[in-house]
This record gives sequence, C-alpha cells and structure tokens, in this order.
Amino acid sequence: MSDYPKNSLNLPFITTEKVGTEEFILNMGPQHPSTHGVCRLILKMDGEVIVDLVPIVGYLHRALEKIAENRTYLQFIPYTDRIDYVSAMLCNHGLCMAVEKLAEIEVPQRAEYIRVIMDELNRIASHLVWLGTFALDLGAITPFLYCFREREMILDLIEMTCGQRMTFNYMRVGGVSRDLPGEFIPKAREFVKYFKPRVDEYEAILTQNPIFLGRTKGVGILDQKTAIDYSVTGPNLRATGLKWYLRKEEPYSVYDKFEFDIPTGTKSDTWDRYMVRIQEMRQANRIVEQALESIPEGDIKAKTKAVFKPPKGEAYTRVESTRGEMGFYVVSEGDTMPYRLKLRTASFSNLAVLPEMVRGWKIADLVVIFASLDVIMPDVDR
Amino acid sequence: MFELDKVFKAVYFWLEGLFTRWGIPQFWLDLLSMLLVFVVIIAFISVAVLFLVWWERKVAAHMQVRFGPMRTGWHGWRQTVIDAIKLIQKEDIVPLKVDRAVFVIAPIVVFVSALLVYVCIPFGRGLIVRDLNIGILYILAITTFTVVGLLMAGWGSNNKWSLLGGLRSAAQIVSYEVPLTLSVLGVVLLVGSLSMVEIVKSQAHFWDWYIVRQPIGFLVYLTAAIAEVNRTPFDIPEAEQELVAGYNTEYSGMKFAMFFFAEFTNLFTISAVATTLFLGGWHGPWLPSWIWFFIKTFGIILVIMWFKWTYPRVRVDQLMDFAWKFLLPLGFLNLMLTALFA
Amino acid sequence: MALVKRIYSGVYNLILGLTVTVKHLGKHAITLQYPKERWPMPERSRGCVVLLTDLEANKLKCIACGLCYRVCPNNAIKFTAAKDEAGKRFAEVFEVDTGLCIYCGLCEEVCPVKGKAIKLVPRYEFSVYDKKDLIYDKEKLGEIGREYSG
Repeated sequence: MSDYPKNSLNLPFITTEKVGTEEFILNMGPQHPSTHGVCRLILKMDGEVIVDLVPIVGYLHRALEKIAENRTYLQFIPYTDRIDYVSAMLCNHGLCMAVEKLAEIEVPQRAEYIRVIMDELNRIASHLVWLGTFALDLGAITPFLYCFREREMILDLIEMTCGQRMTFNYMRVGGVSRDLPGEFIPKAREFVKYFKPRVDEYEAILTQNPIFLGRTKGVGILDQKTAIDYSVTGPNLRATGLKWYLRKEEPYSVYDKFEFDIPTGTKSDTWDRYMVRIQEMRQANRIVEQALESIPEGDIKAKTKAVFKPPKGEAYTRVESTRGEMGFYVVSEGDTMPYRLKLRTASFSNLAVLPEMVRGWKIADLVVIFASLDVIMPDVDR
Repeated sequence: MFELDKVFKAVYFWLEGLFTRWGIPQFWLDLLSMLLVFVVIIAFISVAVLFLVWWERKVAAHMQVRFGPMRTGWHGWRQTVIDAIKLIQKEDIVPLKVDRAVFVIAPIVVFVSALLVYVCIPFGRGLIVRDLNIGILYILAITTFTVVGLLMAGWGSNNKWSLLGGLRSAAQIVSYEVPLTLSVLGVVLLVGSLSMVEIVKSQAHFWDWYIVRQPIGFLVYLTAAIAEVNRTPFDIPEAEQELVAGYNTEYSGMKFAMFFFAEFTNLFTISAVATTLFLGGWHGPWLPSWIWFFIKTFGIILVIMWFKWTYPRVRVDQLMDFAWKFLLPLGFLNLMLTALFA
Repeated sequence: MALVKRIYSGVYNLILGLTVTVKHLGKHAITLQYPKERWPMPERSRGCVVLLTDLEANKLKCIACGLCYRVCPNNAIKFTAAKDEAGKRFAEVFEVDTGLCIYCGLCEEVCPVKGKAIKLVPRYEFSVYDKKDLIYDKEKLGEIGREYSG
C-alpha cells in the first residue's frame, strides 16, 4: 500500500490508468447445444463481439469417397443416404443420375415422376427440420414440435413406399426400386391439402413477430459477390438476390413439366434466408401436387444387366439438394466399381462463408446466423 | 362458506386458552404462533411449487401437441415429487477452485429472498401474515435481493460462462425494477396507501379493478415482472443455446433444486402481486375469498406460461433497449395520465 | 406516426402468435405412448433379416447361391455352401450379424428365389445385453422367419 500515491487526506487511492481490454479466444467445441452437429468453432472475441472465427471440421469424416472405390454402384447407394441424412432421396437421385449419364441409360417416365415426388417431399421434410431447429436456437420452442408433426406424415408416406424413414436406399440406376403402393397417391394428396395452411401457421408464430424481426432483420448480411466467390449455392445464394435455380437453369429429370416460382430475397440477411426457405416449402408442395395429378403408368426401372459395368469415361451431374448444389463426379474404368467418385457437397462451401458473415456480431447472433445457413455436418465432412 | 381465517383464529384462541391455563407467558404463545404460521407458509409454497412445475410441463406439452409426464401417477402428477426426491439424494458437487463461501451461500440468498415476500401477500379475507402498512414497498425491496444471490452464484462458480450469465441477469433485473416500480406507483396513487389489504379493499367492484382503470400499467407490470423472474422472452441468463446454463452451470443436487424452487416461487409471487394490484385480490361472488385468489393467480400464471412457449428470446442489448427506451417512458406516461385524470 | 404503426403491428403480431399456440391446447396430443400403444408397421418396413421356410417341405428356401453374401455393403452375412444327399445346394453355415446390418434390403432385392428366401420383416424390438447375441445363425433366422413364411 505504501507505494500508491497519496492524496491530501492521506488516504491511499489507486490511479486508474487506461483500463485495457484484450481479445480472448473462446472455443465453441464440438459438443454444444447449438452447433448443428459436430462442428468446432474457434472464436476470437473482444468482449462479446466476435472479431474472427475459424471453423474446424472433420469430426464426422467417414471416407465415403474412398469406400466408393471398393463398392459396386448398387452397393454404394445406401452410403449416399448417409451423406446428407436429412434429405437422403436427393443424394440417391444424384448418384443414379451420374451413373445414368455415364452409361447413357434412359429412365422411364413413371420412374422420373416418382423420383420428383420423393425429392420434393424430402425437400419439405428437410426444410421442416431446419425451421424447427432455427426457431429452437432463437428460443421459440413450440414450432419445433409442429414441424416434426408434419414431418411424421411425410416420413410415413415414404416408409409406406420404401420401408425406411431416414436411410431410404430407394433409387436405383435406371429408376426406382419398388413401385408406389396403392394407398400412396390418395394419402399424398391428403397430405398436400393438409400442408398448405400449416406453412401459414408457422409464419403466424414467427415471420412478423417483433422479437423475431429484431433478432433476424439486418443480421448476418452476405453480399452477392462474396457468396459467388465462395461458391455458396442454394437458398443462401438465392437470398442474396441472384435467381439461380438449378431446376430452371438446367432442368434435369422432369422438372421442365412443372410450374413453380423461384423465391429470392432482397437484402440477404437472416430474415431473407428464412423467408426463402418458407417459400420453397410452398413451391415444393405445389410441385408435388402437380406431379401427383399427372403421373403416368409404366415401368419403374430401365432394364440393366445384372452385373452392371458402365463404359469407360467420366460424368458430372448436379442436383439441387435442399442446401445447395450437390455434384457427383464419377470416373469409371469399365468395371463394376467406380475408379473415383467425388462428391461436391453444398454445406462445405456454405460453412466456408461463415467467417465473412459474423465479424462484428455477438455470440447470440452467431447462433442465429449459423442456424440460418442450414449446414449439416455429415454433408461437410462426408 | 368455509372461511379459512376463522379456522386460523380458532386455533390461535384454543392455544391461548391452553397456555393461560398452564400459566405459560405470552411470549411463548407468540413464538409458537409465528412458528406455526411459518410452517403453514412453507408447506403451502412447497405444494404450490410442486403443482406449478407439473402444470407447466403439462401446459407446455399440450401446446406442443404432446402429452408431458404420463407414467407416474394419473397424468404424471407424482413426477415433481419424484424429481424432488431425486435431486435431494444427488451428490453435492463443489468444484475445487470455487470461492467456497460465496458458492455455498448463493442459493440460500436466492431462496430466502424468494420466501421472505410471503409475509405480505393477502391470500384471502383476513389471510395475510402481517398487514404491513408499507406492504407493496416491502415486496419490491425484497425481490431485489435476488440480484445479490445471482451475482454471487455467477462469481462463485469460477467459470467464464457462469460469470457472463450472472452479470447479464443482474443487469436485466436491475433495469426492469424501474418500470415495475412505476407501474405499481400508478395503482398506489389511486389507492392512497401502500398496504396490500387497503389496495384489495379498494377494488370491491368489478369496475374498480385496476386492470380496467390502469390498462397500460397492467401491461407494463406484466412485462417487467416476466423480465424480473427470467422467463422467456427474457430468459437470457438461462439461455441454454448460448451459455450452457448460465449461473446454474456448476450447481448440482440440492443447491440446484433451491435455484429451481426459487424461480417458481418468484413466479407465484409476481402473479399473486398482479392479482392483488390489478385483478381485485380476493373479491368475487359466492366462492370463498381464497379460492378466488387462487383462480386469479393461476390465470395470470397460465398467461405467463403461454408467453413462454410462444415467443423467441430477445438479445441482451435489445433487452436493455426495451427496458430503458420503451417501458420506462410508457411507465411515466401512465403515471402522468393517472395523476392528471384520477 | 411510423412509431405508432410499428407498435400496432408489433402488438398485433404478438397476439397472432399467441392465438396459434392456444388453438393447440384444445387439440388432442399426437404422441403415441410407446410401450402401451404400438405403431402398426407398414408391410414393406425394413426391419430384422430372416430366412423364409418352405412350409410344405419344411426346409429353408435358400438355395445357397451366395448373391446376398456378395451384395451386402457391410459384409454382415457369413455363408458356406454345401451339397446335401439329393445333390441340391443348401447353406451349411449362414450367419447374419444383425449388429452390422444396415437394413438396406439389398440382400432381399437380389435373391433369385421365387417369393424370396431372405427377407427383411417389420421386427424391430430385439435389443440384447451382449453383442454376441446379435449374431443370428441359420436356426435362429429360420425360426423367426417361420411366422413370416405363410
């Protein structure tokens, strides 16, 4: 105490020199209630504001591309289910399309329609999971339960057809594996009618709620140039204002026969990303309705040899998965197993753009921004 | 019908007769009656909290189209009892590097400050422990003690996340005290007294209830009170998604049970105070007064739970914004209008 | 003026959210209370692997072609063929490790026997305490498959 300067009253006082703050490193580890899956984020913080962020991925790497070199195309289809387990039909579809392009197989019309119905139902289911967990991260616990109630109905429809609720193994090279059972079409029509007002219900709880608007409007802005530089695709890119919709630019399967809109955003903040996905649910519902009306009779699978050997060559196809573009690059040496199979997944690029979006925001905003990107970790790590 | 205050008076007179016959001085009678009242209040609060926890789980579940607890007793009514027993027999973990005195005393401070308020709550006609003539001021003062307890919990846990949670909650509670007090002031201006029984007595008729005469005051009170007890949309101190459990993180077993208990006790307190101030206390036709009190209090609790399960959470700076830039001017406006027109 | 509009819109939407949640209070809960009530599984449901029996001949239908063994992505099937007295092939050792099985259904799909010799049936409650008990040999597979062979 003696070396402190004394004042006239002979009481010691401590001079406050400039009170400095320093940045500290915070680890939002692999286990955290709000990182969607096992993703480690290292944050450099200044108080509560985030200065920089480094995502560390790889906790869920299962070497799927290497496994593909030792499995036949038929055997690899269950593995594609596990790339993005929330929207597994789309991954199945992608691989089958790549191999069909390589071997120049023509898929029958009925199979294409069934594929489109399953794809779009799966898109709705995936967006419902996203919506539930997004609201949960914000603190509104109830929409989660409502979304899962609808998801149950979709999964029941799919289970009735292929037997499983999450890892479908439904599509085959040349078509689909089993035909739709008799009660599928009436039940699906019932579902489509039931689902239309449900989206309005979710919107009533969230969209114009002032607390929700305060948390999401203007938060986490991603400008178009950065998005294109980082190869962000899917609803994240469409929220920046770019009307890039693979199903309209390069229509694969029978998408050119259906009528649907492209929801885009204007300000590319979190609220726009949320609105784009809500509208996508509505459009997917429309597509399913149209497909159910006009589904033709016919074969469900093109005839392929039992021991299937595509010709030598390579093919790249892309599917509009729920999170963005999913690309399958197959190199074949004329054998039953691919020589190389490369998966280009949407979540990998979507996650890469996260540091650009969070600089200057707080942890509470980081949670919201991360949730709005709709990243699934097995999709990132494969 | 069955007026409970006559029952309590009868017991007191019987004891008094007993003690004068045995020649025991008045002091012991006073002490014994105080102890009995204490036991009654604690028993009541325990039962009320057990019921509230179960009820919250059921209300939340039915709003989310699911069932809630169903297997322990009819519709799971025994669930909270079993949870309480489980928490009591849990191992009490005190981490090594904590500030031991602060860590251990924090739950006690929070728990005691939650209980002390019940001295002044009028449960029915003649059913108030002590009608202090500064009743509502006493209640507002005691509820501020909780801040001290939360700060102690946050600091004593020796944990970055808990400290953040404790600081946030202290800032929140202190900021929302001001609109709370302003909304209460509006009612006090109209009554002219701070005593709880006087406030209830002045709301004899339905059109006298202060929810009708002070609607803005009621809304400000409700919002500020929800923020006081850390419930969604203002539950940042306990926000699971961001800070694992805020100031609660390092607590386990009975200490955690005390925090939990205090939270629900506070919930009951603010609803009881809302009933007394704005909804006419225990007035009501032909049912006993204490039944009306409970109906009204549980009605307000239902509304607060409804808010919890519908709304998302506000962010910390938005929370402060809301208190200082919106609720405070609204409270002043209410006060001004009351002073001018009533 | 804009402030008043914002306040009005805010309050209106807050109350709108409340009406949505309160409507659900009246609806019946959709939870299935599991051990007491069970969901009727669709017939195509892919559960446990079983071997079907030809009930008249009282023999397993399996002709030991080995196709299911070769198509399993996870190598969950162990298989040895042999010839019986009549000279017909049958499976001497046929073991399925249901712990490794991913319930993909490819074995059922490639089975060439009419009416399928290996099938995935809607049986899903077979947890055990020891991992060894998950390896089903030919007898167990046939025994469970008997009730689905009809």
